[in-house]
Amino acid sequence: MRKALLENLNIRCRHGNSGKYKMILLWQVLVNGVLLGGIYAAMALGLVLAWGVLHIVNVAHGALIMLGAYVSYYLFTFIGLDPFAGMPLSMIVMFGFGYLLQLYLLNFMIKAPMFNTLLLTFGLAVIFANLAQFAFSADFRIINPVYAGDNFVWLGATIPLVRILAFGVAMTLTLFLWAFLTYARYGRAIRATAQNLVAARLYGINPRKIYAMTFGIVGAFAAASGVLYGVVWQINPYIGSNLTAKSFAIAIIGGLQNPLYVIVGGLFLGIIESLSSLYLGPTYSDLVFFGILVLILIVRPTGLLGKTA
Amino acid sequence: MKRMSLSLLAAMGLFAAQAVFAAPIELGASVQKTGSFANTGRYYADGYQFAVDKINEKGGVKIGDKQEKLHLTILDNQSDVNLSVRQYVQLLTQNKVNFLLGPFASNFALADSAISEKYQIPMIQGGGASDQIFNRGFKYVFGTLPPASAYFQTTVDAMMKLDPAPKTVALLYADDSFDVSVAEGAHKILAKTPLKIVIEQKYSSETSDFNSLLALIKSKNVDAILVAGHETEILNFIRQAKALDISPKFYSFTVGVSTADFRKALGSDADYAFGMTSWLPSSSLKDDYFGDGMQFAEEYRKRFGYEPDYHSASAVADVLAFVKAIEKAGSLDPKAVRNAIVNLDFNSLYGQIHFNAQGQLELPQTVIQIQNGKVVPIYNAKGFIGKPQYPMPAWKQR
Repeated sequence: MRKALLENLNIRCRHGNSGKYKMILLWQVLVNGVLLGGIYAAMALGLVLAWGVLHIVNVAHGALIMLGAYVSYYLFTFIGLDPFAGMPLSMIVMFGFGYLLQLYLLNFMIKAPMFNTLLLTFGLAVIFANLAQFAFSADFRIINPVYAGDNFVWLGATIPLVRILAFGVAMTLTLFLWAFLTYARYGRAIRATAQNLVAARLYGINPRKIYAMTFGIVGAFAAASGVLYGVVWQINPYIGSNLTAKSFAIAIIGGLQNPLYVIVGGLFLGIIESLSSLYLGPTYSDLVFFGILVLILIVRPTGLLGKTA
Repeated sequence: MKRMSLSLLAAMGLFAAQAVFAAPIELGASVQKTGSFANTGRYYADGYQFAVDKINEKGGVKIGDKQEKLHLTILDNQSDVNLSVRQYVQLLTQNKVNFLLGPFASNFALADSAISEKYQIPMIQGGGASDQIFNRGFKYVFGTLPPASAYFQTTVDAMMKLDPAPKTVALLYADDSFDVSVAEGAHKILAKTPLKIVIEQKYSSETSDFNSLLALIKSKNVDAILVAGHETEILNFIRQAKALDISPKFYSFTVGVSTADFRKALGSDADYAFGMTSWLPSSSLKDDYFGDGMQFAEEYRKRFGYEPDYHSASAVADVLAFVKAIEKAGSLDPKAVRNAIVNLDFNSLYGQIHFNAQGQLELPQTVIQIQNGKVVPIYNAKGFIGKPQYPMPAWKQR
């Protein structure tokens, strides 16, 4: 590791042009990291919501993102609906999917130990991936609107248009979720149910419906991040597990208390990945990130910003 | 009494049926039909099945003066190496197959060929090209893909003859057995040329984000990029290169360029990408069962709904090699068939099948380029056979 690091630095010193170019490179990579982190945050939102409110460690979260991406892909490819314009529609479809999934399946497990729901969602993840291959084939798909490759230069860094759009959408969604949970009647009902089930019932809340609606929101957010994923990367039935792992790590860093902390977790992951890819090589980026994660858990077992489950 | 005679009759009938239809020759393979490798794994499942059906349709395999049919067992390893190893053991111990066909991808073939070696049953595999598979002195594994270390040979030859020839190269590769072999080979090939490697970087096979590497490439203004990786990474790489407005004079990829699915996904963004293939459909490739390479490609496309690339053709060649070897050996004895495989030399839709001392085919790679959505052969061992579109125009001028 140390040797590889020194070698890498050596290569860069020998071939590096000048200090100025190195600064531009660092700036570009930081910008990349921030934009990447925004999308990561959007992915993790749904997982954090399911974990924090429903106490479901949703291993199928990545699979939901994958399904959302396919919805958007088919809307774009066959109806010609722009992925960003069609995002509300994909979100509605996946809201319905999540709602029904919770109402008719997950609700039966809601009081079971967390390990049981974890196993159940793991099974769902496998089923979703295989059904997706059956229905959509193993072909690689991309959502490719005409502006997908457009970019502009800002302070010397090239900014891909879709990434800044994706970043904007991710931030908007996060703020929306925060505002919804804090101020909206339904949002407060969701939090109340999570905090004290008996009291919430006494106030006339129907927990079954609240749980279903919460998981519907999880589905809708997964759909939104699926759209962003399909516009930036490629979709296939098996992208899910990797996305779940990333979302999981973000949830641990940011904690489950506040959606705004998820942004911090996402940006943290994005920036660490980008910088370690550049300075240590892309083989080490996972090592560095998960190494830091382990350190955080040792030093602050409650997560970087607050309480984890 | 009547019942007894009836059952006796039935038993005799069964016996007679067995005598007429002797047990078929069992071929077995464990292939990625689901999981993250399913995209390419299915080419092997389809290719094997297609070849077996065709050979049975033409009468089967001649052993002595008897014609035997082939029977194929394909298990799904779910893109899990450990499962594939267990399934090869299962194929030999429970399914009792006579011979083994291989999985897709080098790291699978690397592990699975240990089983064929242990049980001394020949495996002909068309999905693993890494030199690591063949330099262990194994006697029972044969491969129909050309050696990974030579993948970039014709590409570099072609690059040197381009005008103006690129001067600097970035070599990027995934950290699996196949791509590491390709990169080590490419490093040696490049060292013999005036081309200078300014970036040589390994990345993890899980990588989906190449922005940092691309930023580095941009800062060094590299002329040519050579990437050894998987199709999904290469799709991401090209999309991100476009989004960051990075267009070197030349870029070439080990996989993807030859497959229909890749071109369909990227559309016009796939244009100008160079790649390589050990096989192109051609009517000059004569074959005893399929007529020629062109007819094979046409029939294959009709049956499966997509155009075959070298993966499918290589899979078909594996079955053909077994048929020829069994006919030559005149028996199903694994050792006799293994010795017959070593001495094989015949022409097929895939090319000349003649294994080298390590057990690998040495087919030269043809350099290809995507031009207006079509694969155009550009360069092979004989020199240029098509006009390269070079240098690649900037993304905004397309």
